Amino acid sequence: MVVRDISQRKRFLNSGNVYLPHIAVIEKIIEETPTIRTFHFNIKDDKVREQFTFESGQFAEYSVFGVGEAPFCISSSPTRKDHLEVAFQKVGRVTNAMNRLAVGDEIGFRGPYGNTFPMDYLKGKNLVFVAGGIGMAPLRSLIWNVIDNRAKYEKVTIIYGARSPDLLCFKYDLTDWQKDSSLNTVVTVDRGTPDWKGNVGFVPAVLEKTAPSANNTVAVVCGPPIMIRFTFPVLDKLGFKPEQMITTLEKRMKCGIGKCGRCNIGDVFVCRDGPVFSYAEIKGLASSEY
Amino acid sequence: MKKIKKSDLNKLLSQWQQKYSVFAPSNHGVVKMTAWDGKDTTFLDWYRNTVVPPKNNFLPGMEKMFDIKKDAGYKLEVTADDTKQLIFGVRPCDARALALIDVNFKDGYEDTYYLNRRKNGLLVGLGCTSPCASCFCTSLNIHPAESQDVDVMFNDIGEELLIAEVTDKGKELLAASSGLSDATAADEAKAKEAKEATFKKVTRKINTGEIKERLMPSFENEEYWKNVAAKCVSCGICTFLCPTCYCFDINDEQSKGEAARFRNWDCCSFAVYTKMPMENPREEKWRRVRQKVNHKYNFFPMIYEQIACTGCGRCIRQCPVNWDITQVLSTLPEKAKA
Repeated sequence: MVVRDISQRKRFLNSGNVYLPHIAVIEKIIEETPTIRTFHFNIKDDKVREQFTFESGQFAEYSVFGVGEAPFCISSSPTRKDHLEVAFQKVGRVTNAMNRLAVGDEIGFRGPYGNTFPMDYLKGKNLVFVAGGIGMAPLRSLIWNVIDNRAKYEKVTIIYGARSPDLLCFKYDLTDWQKDSSLNTVVTVDRGTPDWKGNVGFVPAVLEKTAPSANNTVAVVCGPPIMIRFTFPVLDKLGFKPEQMITTLEKRMKCGIGKCGRCNIGDVFVCRDGPVFSYAEIKGLASSEY
Repeated sequence: MKKIKKSDLNKLLSQWQQKYSVFAPSNHGVVKMTAWDGKDTTFLDWYRNTVVPPKNNFLPGMEKMFDIKKDAGYKLEVTADDTKQLIFGVRPCDARALALIDVNFKDGYEDTYYLNRRKNGLLVGLGCTSPCASCFCTSLNIHPAESQDVDVMFNDIGEELLIAEVTDKGKELLAASSGLSDATAADEAKAKEAKEATFKKVTRKINTGEIKERLMPSFENEEYWKNVAAKCVSCGICTFLCPTCYCFDINDEQSKGEAARFRNWDCCSFAVYTKMPMENPREEKWRRVRQKVNHKYNFFPMIYEQIACTGCGRCIRQCPVNWDITQVLSTLPEKAKA
């Protein structure tokens, strides 16, 4: 999944200057949790909007003008072209400023950057999606992509958890997926509340209990580092090989195009060569700083 | 080849100043390439190398990327810097360093800000005659008095300077310059002798053979890197004065309805460099020092098959605690400790 030769990538550049963002307009804001929001937005320029393409797994740099720029994945699916979506958690300077924006406000958008989920490799396989908290954002792009091309894939299992019921993101998606008989959707929380009727337990434990077969299966994992660290051993126990485990990594990515230096793990730049890696690739990196 | 009397250099620089913004070494507290004042060429007597490398002329410490204007909606305005710079007195190590930075800014996505300045810039090299004790360029296959990374190369042959064209851009520059005389075979022989003498003056050496292979086994040797990093104060001077360091940060500034986006040099010695809201992969100092050494001698060569160091010695000369990269590279443990 590491594609070193980025000239092979689908690139969408602004007339020469790669650092110049497109102006995009927020069309809808969804409060996912008390600290996480989703923006539905569109690029303002008609021509640019019509030409824009991306793949599941790619990210972009989003600006609040005058405050700064930060990287987030595109959380909508390329199969749904009405608008783009981004989910973010209010934690730093840029996300706090994003949190203050309203429908109709303009943001800066440049991308898409990075590699993509390996769609050809996933074709004809059983898929297991394992996500925690806001880690569902990149997986959600892929899950909708899979649903919209359902015939191309075998069994699909979705395991999603959050610390508590009010911290589950994309509840509207979860409802849809739970109704869809072609998917096995398991939702869990670390700690329940009196009115919570679903599963209680950590994501890795629920994954172990669900026990999807590793045969002809690929697991795609995304969530907080602690969840990922405990999920890989469970997958290993279930018989998954490192090549069958895929995740997306996060780093402080300032430029998004492998120039500014900080997001390297050894000789790999997460923004340029990632952010999607298999566990086999991660284990083969020159540095363990992932 | 051409030549010019040292006492006539100011006439040549003046000619060039008609067409270019000429920069030359000056010492106003700190030695750096400064807009030439139109007369002073005394640097020929005292100049060894600048403290601030000429990368500053192409990748400034801080530059505006675009203005952010707000009317009905946002408008971004880029002001391209099309200044035609001519830098006189660039040392071979620093010229090579720019060629190394080019690699990063050309690969994949092109960085228009930097590459535009490079396109509009002319490098006039000046061979070293008295390298510093901290210089180790020859270990990186750089000759202190010869360069293919400049447009025109000057070499000191006593009362005169020998002038060689290197690139087409350099050829055009010389063709349009007056007051140059033809060099004789004797001049060229004198230059050759001087170059060889300078080469021998670079006495500090490092072993760059199989450097990647020697660095890799020690990568996870925490004890070794903690020891190496012990005296580092994370001040960042080695990065800011390094001619090959190019890492940058992007920041917005706003005041009274005005806003702009800027690019600034950044530095892997700082913990904030990799800091994310929830975690930081290089919070500890030894990890940052390890990154610095490995980026130059291991990771950059893994990607581009060249070492990202030119042996200019600035990081040794300017370090407030005498941290010395050549010492680090010569004391690498043979094998990783389990």
